[in-house]
Amino acid sequence: MALIELRNVTKRYRVGEQEINALAGIDLEIAQGEFAAIIGPSGSGKSTLMHLLGCLDTPSTGTMTIDGMDVSRASSNKLAEMRNQKIGFVFQSFNLLVKLNVLQNVELPLIYAGIPSSVRREKALAAIERVGLTERVNNTPLQLSGGQMQRVAIARALVNSPKIIFADEPTGNLDSNTGATILEMFRELSRQGSTIVLVTHDNGIAAQAARRIEIRDGRIVNDTINPPQPVAA
Amino acid sequence: MNLWLSLLVGFKEIWAHKFRSFLTMLGVILGVASLLSMFSLTAGMAHGVREYITQLGGIELVGVIKQEVPVEQEYKWEISPGRTVADAEAIAKIPHLVSLVSPVVELPINIIAGPNNFRYEAQAVWPDYLPINKHNVAFGRPLSWLDVEEAKHVCVVGRLVVDKLWPDRPDYNAVGETVLINQRPFTVVGIFEFYESDRDKRRRELGIDKASAYSSSGNLRSPSSSSYSRSSSRYSSFTRKNSTVVMPISTAFYEFKSANVVGKEDQGPDYRLDRLIFQVADIDRFKETLDRVADMLRVTHRGIDDFGFDTREEWFERNEEYIRNVRASGGLIAGISLLVGGIGITNIMLASITERIREIGVRRAVGAKGRDIFIQIVVESAVIGVIGGLLGLVASLGVMKILVAISPGDNAPVLEFENVVISFSFAVIIGVVSGIYPAVKAARIEPIEALRYG
Repeated sequence: MALIELRNVTKRYRVGEQEINALAGIDLEIAQGEFAAIIGPSGSGKSTLMHLLGCLDTPSTGTMTIDGMDVSRASSNKLAEMRNQKIGFVFQSFNLLVKLNVLQNVELPLIYAGIPSSVRREKALAAIERVGLTERVNNTPLQLSGGQMQRVAIARALVNSPKIIFADEPTGNLDSNTGATILEMFRELSRQGSTIVLVTHDNGIAAQAARRIEIRDGRIVNDTINPPQPVAA
Repeated sequence: MNLWLSLLVGFKEIWAHKFRSFLTMLGVILGVASLLSMFSLTAGMAHGVREYITQLGGIELVGVIKQEVPVEQEYKWEISPGRTVADAEAIAKIPHLVSLVSPVVELPINIIAGPNNFRYEAQAVWPDYLPINKHNVAFGRPLSWLDVEEAKHVCVVGRLVVDKLWPDRPDYNAVGETVLINQRPFTVVGIFEFYESDRDKRRRELGIDKASAYSSSGNLRSPSSSSYSRSSSRYSSFTRKNSTVVMPISTAFYEFKSANVVGKEDQGPDYRLDRLIFQVADIDRFKETLDRVADMLRVTHRGIDDFGFDTREEWFERNEEYIRNVRASGGLIAGISLLVGGIGITNIMLASITERIREIGVRRAVGAKGRDIFIQIVVESAVIGVIGGLLGLVASLGVMKILVAISPGDNAPVLEFENVVISFSFAVIIGVVSGIYPAVKAARIEPIEALRYG
């Protein structure tokens, strides 16, 4: 069974009198260990889809299961638990808490998981080491470069050993060199067995993923397997 | 997220906005300070009033008073002898319920020692009169039963009387001196201690009111100013008590009451009392005691209901109620300022969550439940309440100092532990309650909305 399964999922928003069909019937399966890129122009519904997949929102109709758990009608608390235990997020704008240092930012998901402080520290340090920022643990985000901030965000996404990592335009705020490094980091994680779903509007970035899911007007219009990429990007 | 971490986050958040947090706290600080000062002021007032009542005999003291006879007894009222010493003797026979009793005859007197001559009112009494009225003898001895039985020409006088009669001898121990009371020689056998309220004592020690200044060693007082010494503390409620002259009631009857000449005719001896006072032994059996005494008096008064009771219970109750009212209204006003402080907290917390909406979104995204966000905000505003409350307690000490400095003569505020606890708890409750609305609002923010923001 696939890790993520969407069956005829729709999402409607009401903006004033107008009803917007952000997603108009999506069927999608993502298996364990896949590296998929969701691509589409702005307004295509890709962010809405990502929010649903990331358990930040629930669909209007249709069913969605993640890791065997039906989350299409889950309560807000249940969704929070899913996000905490099974999902890691990496955002375009990093979304680090500027009042906390690197270690504390990475520890955040563990705090809400109720993990005791000694274990928390150990796990957070391990995650920080994976992204190569061990010497910056006591710095605050504002003392870091964009690339470093995104690495902290990745460490935070990894710290709870999630089933899936979602990345929403992770390179959008970075220059192309740094962006390439970050992408390489995702590919490395993928090689180590993580399931990664990446949302982008950039074909070049989508091409680096193993699978390319193209979305337009709330529907999947193209779902292809990319040819294997050379290691060096 | 556990409570400890929430507290830590709360403190950090407050520390990050020190000035803003302080301004927010100011409402709570002022509220708590005024609440506690208010409570302490009324506690001081209550203390003063209770002290005064106790000095005057406390609520155990009951007076038997003359009263209009009921209409149906009007035709035969004359068969009642009125209040006499026989009443006192009857009341004294009631076992257990009455601890002390004394008949009182009030005599306008002219008291002379050497060249000095004053008008006073003397109390002709039994020895019980002294303990009933909480009199203490500083020099010499109190009245004794022997004085009464033998109708001795002795008297016990108050401090101010001695001060007036021997103005150039401060703190004179006049025991053994002979004075003339209405032309009869009396020996002073005792002098009462000087009575004053805590408030007057403080005034005197601070030397605020020169006129009432009193030095126990006397060297601050020149003979010329002596008439301004204790005697002129005319504002004091204790002046009357300090001007007491007591003598045995039997002596008064023999010397001053054996004849009652109206016009050219002697009406015979007058045995009527001006007052009849007794002390209730057990305040819990107050009503029962009064009933028993009334039964007794109905016998001695031959069934005529021409007497009643003058109790301080009502007076005492009135005072207590008055103090309760002052406390309640003052507490209400102080409570309102505390409430305003609470609204300030709510306001700043609302601003704070708007400012931190992205932080809330991030926390939600990594797994914080609505409940976690709720707790975080409530704890933060509770911390403001707690710190504000503590600072308010400290501030109230200052406020009380200022109040004492402004009017040192008044009853000193009394800081009671209970009131400290009430004021502080009020601050904490205000802190928690004012955080609830912003916290609910913050907890309800949808994570995607929060992440989209800004």
